[in-house]
Amino acid sequence: MAILISFDIDGTMEFGDPPGGITLEMVRRAQELGFLIGSCSDRPPSAQQALWEKHDIRADFVAPKHGLDEVKSRFEADDYLHIGDRDTDQQFAERAGFRFYWAYDAIHEPWLTLGDAQDLP
Amino acid sequence: MPKQSPIPDELDRPFWAACNEGRLVIQHCTRCDRLQHPPEPTCAQCGSADNLEWRQVSGRGRIYSYAVMYDTPVTVLQADQPFNIVVITLEEDPGIQMLSHLPGTTVDQVPWGASVQVEFETTPNGQKVPEWRVVG
Amino acid sequence: MPTKVPNAPESWYRTREGLGIWPHRGKVAAVGVGLSPTARRWDGRPETSVGAWSILALRKAMEDAGVSPDQVDGLVMAQDTATGSPWPPGKPVPEDFLTTFQPTDDPLDGLTRLSAEWILQNTPELTNVKFTMYGPGCMSNAIVVAAQAVGEGLTDTCLVLKGWHNLEGRYYVGQGAAAEDTIAGRAKWTTGWGTVACYPTAMHFEAYCRKYGVTRDMHAPFVVNSRKNGLLFPEGFYAQHRPEPLTVEDYLSARWIAKPASLLDNDLPICVSAAYLFTTPERARDMKQKPVYILNHASDRIKIRSVMPTLEETEECAASNARKLYEGAGITANDLSFEGMYDGFGQFHVFHLEGLGFRGVKRGDALHFFQTDISIEGWNPVSPSGGNIGSGRTRFWHHTDAIQQIQGRAGKRQIWRKAEVGVTGGPFPYGGNFTVWGATPG
Repeated sequence: MAILISFDIDGTMEFGDPPGGITLEMVRRAQELGFLIGSCSDRPPSAQQALWEKHDIRADFVAPKHGLDEVKSRFEADDYLHIGDRDTDQQFAERAGFRFYWAYDAIHEPWLTLGDAQDLP
Repeated sequence: MPKQSPIPDELDRPFWAACNEGRLVIQHCTRCDRLQHPPEPTCAQCGSADNLEWRQVSGRGRIYSYAVMYDTPVTVLQADQPFNIVVITLEEDPGIQMLSHLPGTTVDQVPWGASVQVEFETTPNGQKVPEWRVVG
Repeated sequence: MPTKVPNAPESWYRTREGLGIWPHRGKVAAVGVGLSPTARRWDGRPETSVGAWSILALRKAMEDAGVSPDQVDGLVMAQDTATGSPWPPGKPVPEDFLTTFQPTDDPLDGLTRLSAEWILQNTPELTNVKFTMYGPGCMSNAIVVAAQAVGEGLTDTCLVLKGWHNLEGRYYVGQGAAAEDTIAGRAKWTTGWGTVACYPTAMHFEAYCRKYGVTRDMHAPFVVNSRKNGLLFPEGFYAQHRPEPLTVEDYLSARWIAKPASLLDNDLPICVSAAYLFTTPERARDMKQKPVYILNHASDRIKIRSVMPTLEETEECAASNARKLYEGAGITANDLSFEGMYDGFGQFHVFHLEGLGFRGVKRGDALHFFQTDISIEGWNPVSPSGGNIGSGRTRFWHHTDAIQQIQGRAGKRQIWRKAEVGVTGGPFPYGGNFTVWGATPG
């Protein structure tokens, strides 16, 4: 089951400003499970790329926050998730057909069970 | 699209009352023979309050410029984003402006300089507001 | 302790053309600069509140100038420190803030606004301040007021202060009147239609591009250059927290706020404070830094005809402002070594630059000019501070930079050509306060 997870950065990732609850370990775990991972944030794409590289993670995509639809068109997946901390994250995610998770819920890594075809809450 | 409903006040009540009657009126100083909008307690040119009256205008105008709103602060408008906000100038005096969402025109397909005609849209509290539609 | 601190009288502002040379030209000097750290949002600690950081900035400005606190006899500041998200109604003021600082009658003083009373109560070493006045809004206003006050002899060693706080929440979105189902007052004609702060500028820029046959992508080099300059400002937000250069692609892909204005045409609200020390040339001789002379100040009080300024009103206001600045300083556009006009919203700079006629730029030319070398290494340095685009929303990086450029201590931002005369100010090209700075009294 191909799954794509997009992370917002500020307020979502541990290296965001402010730091969020999603750790690099969680991202690495998702990547090890074969998920496509990347970020859609109001940070400029070039800065997002630099942040992933700084933390030694090869992101499959970076895009501006409103670029989720373009990400969806580039990658074929069975499920698309966006994790964020703002109403704008939710709006852009739902508009692009992504399932949205608030960052504070996503710290439980609900995607870990997706490979077993368990439904998301 | 749903808008915030205007609450008329002492100064602009005649404007909104006229809207409810399907008429567009603008404050006019008879001494200066000059329109002014938004309404003010005195004429911005001569400073007098004694010569202000409400004058009906044709309801014809032109598109001056616009921007497309993608991130409005106004809650009731957010569901309709993105939407046009167009600056209209009146035929009688191009110095007089009104804003419009330009109903009937696709987002970001605003015809530059086009002629427009006023129409009146009812807001949730029943107050009508002037809106503008491209004509011709 | 001042009982009631006044705003500056309207007569102090030079709002008309034809006033001749400013009577105090070269008789007021900026010497010291003090800046607090920066943060994206307040973290809730008393020591990072806007009050605390403002005190820190004041102390740094005095130290920078080599002035002891008891020598300071004036304080000019802006009271408003808001960036767009209000203190939640009913939320109590943190107890540790109340115990750390001496409060005024307003429990949010020092947290979401800043009075001169609060500053003086909590900066006890300022024992000799006899003159206090507000220059409301921006540092640009406070500078004009302080310059006039020193020129008038009301204070001879004057601190100038502006602080900003930024709380959780979105910039004015869904707050106050914007959250209501009804709309009252003047907002019926403007914000009730859904406009956001950058709307008038976006609308002007759309009209500008059509009028002069230019395109928005031509604005990108200015934004990229501004961020580049900002990353050379060690006190700036991006240099401290997000040392990320911008690319043209970043600019062009940023999400729209009010098209043609995008997220990167809007500035990032932050927490920060700045202070300067102004004095007379005579007193400046004994201070640590080279004096930077104020050659003139000017202000706009545009009366727009209708709902919002037109492009034509904006262009004429910016041009008139430049004429006032040059006339009062006794200079021409050719004398400018650099310009540091306001950039938050980014497109403001187009109108400011053309109004000034910087490097001969005429109406409709600015975006073409941005395709040339506008870097600090070239002959035509545009916004060497990087402004708000380069360092976050303060409306004072350009003033700080102008002082430091002329003092020759702008570090890696130091422009290649000799910095002798600069002009700064803002916010709007259709209304604001502006200053001409010089290396000599004129």
